[in-house]
Amino acid sequence: MTKKQILSIILLVFLFFICLFLCLFYKLDINNKELILSYIRIPTIIKAIISGSCLAIAGMFLQTISKNALADPYLTGLSAGAGFGIVISILLFNSVNYSIFGFIGAIITAFLVILLSGFSKFSITKLILIGLSLNLFTGAIISFLILKNPDKSYEMTLILTGGFSSSEISDKFLVILFILTLIICSIFIPKLNALRLDNKLIFKNQSAANKYNIIFVILAAFLTSISVYCAGILGFVGIICPLLSKLIFGNDIRLLFFTNILLGSSLLLFSNFISTNIIYPLQIPLGIVISIVGVPFFIFFLLKKGGILNN
Amino acid sequence: MPQNPYYPSSITTFDYLSSIFFKNNWKWFISNTEKDKINNILMRIGLYDKKNISIENLSGGEMQKINIALGLISGADVLLLDEPASNMDLNNQVNILKLLKELTSKNITIVIIMHDLSLAMKYGDNFIGITNENKIIQKNSIDFFTPENLKEIFNMNFEIVKGQNNTYVQILD
Repeated sequence: MTKKQILSIILLVFLFFICLFLCLFYKLDINNKELILSYIRIPTIIKAIISGSCLAIAGMFLQTISKNALADPYLTGLSAGAGFGIVISILLFNSVNYSIFGFIGAIITAFLVILLSGFSKFSITKLILIGLSLNLFTGAIISFLILKNPDKSYEMTLILTGGFSSSEISDKFLVILFILTLIICSIFIPKLNALRLDNKLIFKNQSAANKYNIIFVILAAFLTSISVYCAGILGFVGIICPLLSKLIFGNDIRLLFFTNILLGSSLLLFSNFISTNIIYPLQIPLGIVISIVGVPFFIFFLLKKGGILNN
Repeated sequence: MPQNPYYPSSITTFDYLSSIFFKNNWKWFISNTEKDKINNILMRIGLYDKKNISIENLSGGEMQKINIALGLISGADVLLLDEPASNMDLNNQVNILKLLKELTSKNITIVIIMHDLSLAMKYGDNFIGITNENKIIQKNSIDFFTPENLKEIFNMNFEIVKGQNNTYVQILD
């Protein structure tokens, strides 16, 4: 690692803790301190960290295997598929139990994207195109379902616009699931270091490469469904964080894995802080804040160091 | 090796070559012997002093050498190369072909698709030509480069000129 990388990592960790601190202790009421912390703020930051890092890692997986800077969970339709599964389960099951069923539904829908893009003749370009159309399709269906079911429209709108109050799953379960997923991911991470090269140089034939590609798409789908479960459908995180960390830290996936976790969770924590505090009593939907915070920042970096898109 | 491979951005030559070691293992770090292997191969292809610079700053010829090195590191016995010396100046073309020729003496089989007949003739050992009627002509250097064979393959007239030490191919109109 170079000096610049180490310095950037220290800065990033610092940024992460500032965001964490802001989300936890900004304008904290002294009298009800413990209640607010344990019932509102801690569950929120747990969900923010989990969904942010899941989206960032999923985006990194998709971008690395597709060699396309535009591939991310939102554009490939994984997010929309997962959201669709959860919306369906909101409609079918009562609100206490929908958590588990929604999660299963999300995974199944995410698998559908892979199936449609063809298991035998799997191609990444096809995956992105099918994902893009599926993304629009499911978005339309979710909007339609919201119109048809006004009594449950609040929960469903939260899935569509993004927000941390959507799920009723326990924090313990989420944290355990998240850590398990991270462990599974970290087993596969070094493989991505080989997959970042042209597949034709590394593998004897395309089917040998596709074996790994499919593993990583499944992992990305799994990560995305966790994230959608925590915070609804959020665009931009999965595309901004991997690109940004690639711009700053180079191309070593082993390092990018950790920087993506930090960057993704910092971005969501910061957006959460803004969404709850900027117009105080009103809560701005998280998706809107992320676009407003993330996009100018992203464009600035891209203009300054935009060579990354030129392959 | 494909004609125009995809290259990841902002990656050093050393990291690029080290990628191959992650393919068949589950470990997070590469060992010292593997690092030595990369350094050795970089020295052999004459790019050791460029091991820490980004691959975007390498020339086409140097990049082609790196890709050949990638094949060698992975322990390949046979290299299939699709026009490895295309889009290059003459110096680099000759350098690459010399490097490949050197490898053949180390029991590595190299199959190259080439369109430059004089270079192919200088560095090749065995030749395979495919005619438009899918007839396959497989011969060694002397038997392959005859006007009749070349006429059949390329549908053009050639003349074989014998110099003092070498033989040359000349196109007739």
